[in-house]
Amino acid sequence: MMLKAYMILSIILFSIGVVGLISRRNIIVIYMSIELMLNAVNLSFVAISADLGESSAQVISLIIIAITASEAALFMSLFVILFRNKASLDANLFDMLGDKK
Amino acid sequence: MSNTFIALAVPALLLLSAIFILLFGLSSYYTKNRAYYITLATLFIAFFISINGIGVLHSAEILPQIFNSMIVYDTFSATFISLFLLGGFLTLAIAKSFVDKTNFFTHESFVLFLLSLFGMVILTMANELLTAFISLEIASMSVYILVGLNRDSLKASEAFFKYLLLGSFAASFYLLGMMLIFAQTKSTNLDVIAEYILNTDLNSQLLVVAGSMLIMITIMFKIAAVPFGAWVLDVYEGASLPITAYMAGVFKIAIFAFALRVFLKDYITFQAIYDPLIIGGALITMAVGSLLAVIQQSVKKMLAASSVVHSGYLLIAFASTGEATSSAASAIIFYLFAYFISAIGAFGVLSYISKGSDNLINYDDLNGLAKERPIIAASLTVFMLSLAGFPSTIGFIGKFYIFTSAIEAGYTFLAFFGALSAFISIYYYFKVIVHLYFKESGHLEVDYGYKVSLAFIVISALIVLWGGVGTSLLLDIPGINALNALSKYSLESLGL
Repeated sequence: MMLKAYMILSIILFSIGVVGLISRRNIIVIYMSIELMLNAVNLSFVAISADLGESSAQVISLIIIAITASEAALFMSLFVILFRNKASLDANLFDMLGDKK
Repeated sequence: MSNTFIALAVPALLLLSAIFILLFGLSSYYTKNRAYYITLATLFIAFFISINGIGVLHSAEILPQIFNSMIVYDTFSATFISLFLLGGFLTLAIAKSFVDKTNFFTHESFVLFLLSLFGMVILTMANELLTAFISLEIASMSVYILVGLNRDSLKASEAFFKYLLLGSFAASFYLLGMMLIFAQTKSTNLDVIAEYILNTDLNSQLLVVAGSMLIMITIMFKIAAVPFGAWVLDVYEGASLPITAYMAGVFKIAIFAFALRVFLKDYITFQAIYDPLIIGGALITMAVGSLLAVIQQSVKKMLAASSVVHSGYLLIAFASTGEATSSAASAIIFYLFAYFISAIGAFGVLSYISKGSDNLINYDDLNGLAKERPIIAASLTVFMLSLAGFPSTIGFIGKFYIFTSAIEAGYTFLAFFGALSAFISIYYYFKVIVHLYFKESGHLEVDYGYKVSLAFIVISALIVLWGGVGTSLLLDIPGINALNALSKYSLESLGL
């Protein structure tokens, strides 16, 4: 019964992440939305693990945290590169690519 | 060599070599040039270790006590591992001039190159969703950085931004899908999931269906199928040419290898639910890809857009795997051979004649190349013919198998639309040939140097031709029949 509630919470968090990623313009907020999506998945893994009474799902969620951390490192370097080039983190400013030429 | 040894030695070699270059790359002795040759030597040795595993039917879990049945080494993975290593080797060997003339190709780029190959090698051997995800992320993260290698270029950093952002967005769908599958089957192992799917009524496993759809979204994203592939043109444009070749030629094949394994092992049971989606995806992918390729002004972006069309052809075969499993799946593997060598060759020629500059190569830049450099022009023509699916090249045979399998599965209209988009593709591929041979050149003769790179381009062109006409009746060099047997074997080993 509790598992269902946790799953619904996790799906809501995931959806908030998706909406945030689509609607926000600041790249740091976009990154936070991605983190929210990944942690929503983590939450339900932990809930499943508690429901089953075994720890394999918790191991999965630990591994996901490690992957998220390495992704965070990439995003930090991305912020530095983008800010150095345009002195702003507004996603709409980065529209050079995409012309036909 | 025992199979366990091959399966462990190839990734270990790649990883150790990457760590070695990373540690010693800063010393003055291990210059960029030395790092380059160490990388090439690693790929060469690893390739010769891994081809011992192809052509023989085998399938075994590697060290089941340690890896808990997560890693499987079979003919399928052996074939694809050899393909990646060959692709990585050819990409780097052709890109020699690019590496020399640019200053952003430092020793770290070779480390990332080796690490991404390591990820792909594990990805094809992964028999478990989480292992596959970790290796997919190892490979993708290295490729993200390779895209943004040129930190001073606005375009490259923008491509890095778009690819990283959308890539992590897609990856989170994979995790969500894996979570749903785990919630129902209590396992992430592909064999266990397959058993669960077979033994359970379709209506009571909705979570598995939904989860595998979400995983398919990530796969579709990575192979740049249309609704999810909006990044592909921008990223291919922003990345430097060798990296574009690497992404289009090698990375895409790694994703297809994983997709094929997941598909044939697990999803094939509920093919009926998938088929309409994949058929729709294939049609849109081919239509939009063709449209994008026709309107491009630069050859690099045209090739990027046409790689979307090739994903569409492969999706046709994916849709046919339900009805005509063996012929469609081996058609996919054969087509991957064909596309891989042609794409690496075509992008390789572009990177060779761009001489490390950041400029996009427009059609006009190719004017009169046939007069000045007949060998390069001839090789590029061969690659274009192969990509367009012209008879006597490997691309024709690949398309032939794909369309045959579609007809065999009863999807004649898919074969028709495939042929139609192949027909449209003649326009943009032959435009290159027209500019090569029938336009007057406006610029002076240039010496490109780097005869070794040229030699590898010519070798790739010869492979393309030999794959189209060669049989063992003529000469004792593996040709069409050998490639065919290879794809049949690797397919059969999945069922073991």
